Amino acid sequence: MVPEATVADRETAVRCTAVSRSFGHTKAVVDVDLSVRRGEIHALVGANGAGKSTLLGMLSGRIAPSDGDLQIFGRKLQGGRPRESRAASIAIVYQELTIVPLLSAAANVFLGEELGHGGAIEERRMQRRFAELCREFEVEIDGTTVAGELTVATQQLLEIMRAVQRQTKLLLLDEPTASLSHRERDFLLGLMRRLRDDGVTIIFVSHNLDEVIAVSDTVTVMRNARKIETAPVGRWTKSDLVEAMTGEAPARVSRERRAPRGEVVLEASDVSLPGALVDISLDVRAGEVLGLAGLVGSGRTSLLRSLAGLEPASSGTLKIRGKDRPWPRSPRQALRKLDIALLPEDRKGQGLVLGMSVPDNVTMTDLGTVSRGGLVNDRAQLAKARALMEPFRLNRKVDRYPVSELSGGGQQKVVLAKYLNQNPSVMLVDEPTRGIDVAAKVEVLNAVREFAQRGKAVILTSSEIEEVLDVSDRILVIVAGRVGGEFEMDSESPGVRDVLDLAFELDDPTAPVTSRSAEES
Amino acid sequence: MTNGTSTETIPVGPTPAADERRLDAVRVAQNYGIYAVLVVIVIVATIVYSGFLSPDNIKLVLSQNAPLGIVAVGMTLVIIGGGFDLSVGAIFAVSGTAAAMIATHHGAAEGFVVGVALGLVCGLINAIVITRFRVNPFVATLGSSSLFSGVIMLISNSNPFFVEKTSFTWLGQTKLLGVQLPTILLGIVFLLGWLVLNRSVYGRRVLAVGGNPEASRLAGVRTDLVQGGTYVISGLLAAFAGAISASQLSVGQGTAGGTMALQSIAVVVIGGTSLLGGEGSMTRTAVGLLILATLDNIFFSLAVDTNWQLISQGIIVIGAVALDQLFRRMRTK
Ligand SMILES: Nc1ncnc2c1ncn2[C@@H]1O[C@H](COP(=O)(O)OP(=O)(O)OP(=O)(O)O)[C@@H](O)[C@H]1O
Ligand SMILES: [Mg+2]
Repeated sequence: MVPEATVADRETAVRCTAVSRSFGHTKAVVDVDLSVRRGEIHALVGANGAGKSTLLGMLSGRIAPSDGDLQIFGRKLQGGRPRESRAASIAIVYQELTIVPLLSAAANVFLGEELGHGGAIEERRMQRRFAELCREFEVEIDGTTVAGELTVATQQLLEIMRAVQRQTKLLLLDEPTASLSHRERDFLLGLMRRLRDDGVTIIFVSHNLDEVIAVSDTVTVMRNARKIETAPVGRWTKSDLVEAMTGEAPARVSRERRAPRGEVVLEASDVSLPGALVDISLDVRAGEVLGLAGLVGSGRTSLLRSLAGLEPASSGTLKIRGKDRPWPRSPRQALRKLDIALLPEDRKGQGLVLGMSVPDNVTMTDLGTVSRGGLVNDRAQLAKARALMEPFRLNRKVDRYPVSELSGGGQQKVVLAKYLNQNPSVMLVDEPTRGIDVAAKVEVLNAVREFAQRGKAVILTSSEIEEVLDVSDRILVIVAGRVGGEFEMDSESPGVRDVLDLAFELDDPTAPVTSRSAEES
Repeated sequence: MTNGTSTETIPVGPTPAADERRLDAVRVAQNYGIYAVLVVIVIVATIVYSGFLSPDNIKLVLSQNAPLGIVAVGMTLVIIGGGFDLSVGAIFAVSGTAAAMIATHHGAAEGFVVGVALGLVCGLINAIVITRFRVNPFVATLGSSSLFSGVIMLISNSNPFFVEKTSFTWLGQTKLLGVQLPTILLGIVFLLGWLVLNRSVYGRRVLAVGGNPEASRLAGVRTDLVQGGTYVISGLLAAFAGAISASQLSVGQGTAGGTMALQSIAVVVIGGTSLLGGEGSMTRTAVGLLILATLDNIFFSLAVDTNWQLISQGIIVIGAVALDQLFRRMRTK
């Protein structure tokens, strides 16, 4: 796997010596020594809040180190200045999108390095270059579209293009695959290998350990702001990595399932959405987690959005606890009248007020329960927030600091707690573990199961099929906007392969399983 | 997947066709609605005032509003860059008064040069206060506005300076091929503003910084220089407009330009440039200017109480922004 030629090149691209960074009392990175060889893919793994993004941020100039010494290709880096890092041929794709939503896709790719001549912009040349990049990336994006109207995955691709199109010697990638589909992910991994073979050094952060093992040459594990160990990828197994990251053996969600006995809470039939969904029927019982599996673009997200009232063009008939109800036309209607809530796939900005504290965010929707006579009881609020955040293993104690101080994964956990606290009778969950580390993933999935066990109905989808298998009582496989098959997890135990076969329609297509409600009625 | 995701081969939650059509309709309304408003107001103008479309009247309206238009070009850049400039009126007065004062004792040309140079200095002060000392632009320019006003009132002893020499009045009162010079200058400034915003690297960066300052900074854009630059340009143009206006009226005085800040902001906003920054255009500002100018002309010809003009102007400003917000919500659902 590891090409001998690049490993033989002993030159060092990055050398961090005793680098530290604290934010107030939080020590984000402590005394890290790291050296990265020129022309290798160096993976950086660690639990949420371990300090990975902070370390990359110091190399990219977003964050100044509090202490220590950074050297890039033998030259000292002052740190804290993005332009200095740019000048040293460092490019980065940040964990959070840094897109200018009102500018065109092409303009975003060339942001800060616009192609021009004597101060005049050369729009045609940029569009041509952008089209070339798209061809290289094997995607079709109209360069003149306003970036804010593109999907999160496409915006992520724009960021990657931005980093790659520059003459880059050191490429930093902070969870670049988190919002990508399988195809885009495979493409990106291939691109990383190609860039490495061209001599580009890459530091790569990911919570997907399979991906880490597949693509990297060397892996460094961080835990609690410190470096634990650096070793060639061949010396790591997945469970070694988890153990090094968390200090414990990897846990799993128990797959033991009993057939749910609760009443049917939600029954939707003939759900259609022009261009996305064709006559889907499904139902969920109280206490049940229904998983939707399928390829990206199969319509899983559209289905959840339709049920949550976010697709006004959708149609279908809806029964809640056996009673006919009008089809939801707005998220407000879905939430207030039908008690259906959606945890959307693009949570950034929608779910959190970044400047507000963790307790304020988590209890935002039910301040009433922690206040008396219109005044918020601080102690009760904090206690409630702590209880709600308890299952998620946040690396910092819940307190009155703003959510923006948490790491990427930490923020996701706060959003999850907030949504579960809304306590709807039907919870729709899209990609619950995006950006969340392996150990916490298990906790998140368990929290979703516990939520269901309180008599709630949950419909969940994730692009990681493994996860859907782990958490669901029943699974619908969605294929091109239709139900392509169904698995009962109490009596069957399908693997990822079985689901994929259905998703790719490799199974016998003449016998599609319709919905269970049809058989019952 | 009929048409939905025209922009991607990887269909990630395609937008259904009907939805797309509705979005297109909203987009058209948002982009071209302002032209419809202009047409309606022009029609109203020709009905209530038969002479409205006569060439002489149009030329007059344009040259009267040239100073306002020139200020609005600078204001457009500032607002797109995510800022705000309340000091344009004061700079306008500083330049006009200084030009007239100097013209009474020395040459008129020196007066104009000094006036415009002072505008540059004022803009630079704004830029430094806002980008270096990180004072909120609203507060900074509110403060600098009264600072500039106070200084020019002190220096001029609050006196108006009347200048009748043709070397001073040519700037505002000569005609080229039958068109007033201020109108021609207005055209040139608009053209330059359009070029800067749409065709220059700098303009692209103004849009980027206004749209997402942090992303721009991380991409290596010198956000302070970009934003600071908009205040310098705005100061320069306000001063230029002040000089033209003083020359048009043959007088420079410290009280000039009292409504300039609010009017120029009104022009920009009516055109549909968002006060949130990152978005907007010079053509929209031009349309905003034409709407306000036409309205002005209607009320002038009707010879009714000017307060009615204020009232209708207020309604149009609020209405324009409210409509824009409505379209925005419809687009994002
Ligand atoms: N601006 C900030 N202010 C205060 N604390 C911060 C700030 N940025 C990061 N931290 C803290 O520093 C620690 C490390 O954060 P970092 O973002 O580097 O983690 P990470 O390893 O990237 O985690 P994740 O996998 O969740 O992205 C966390 O405890 C976080 O709360
Ligand atoms: Mg991170």
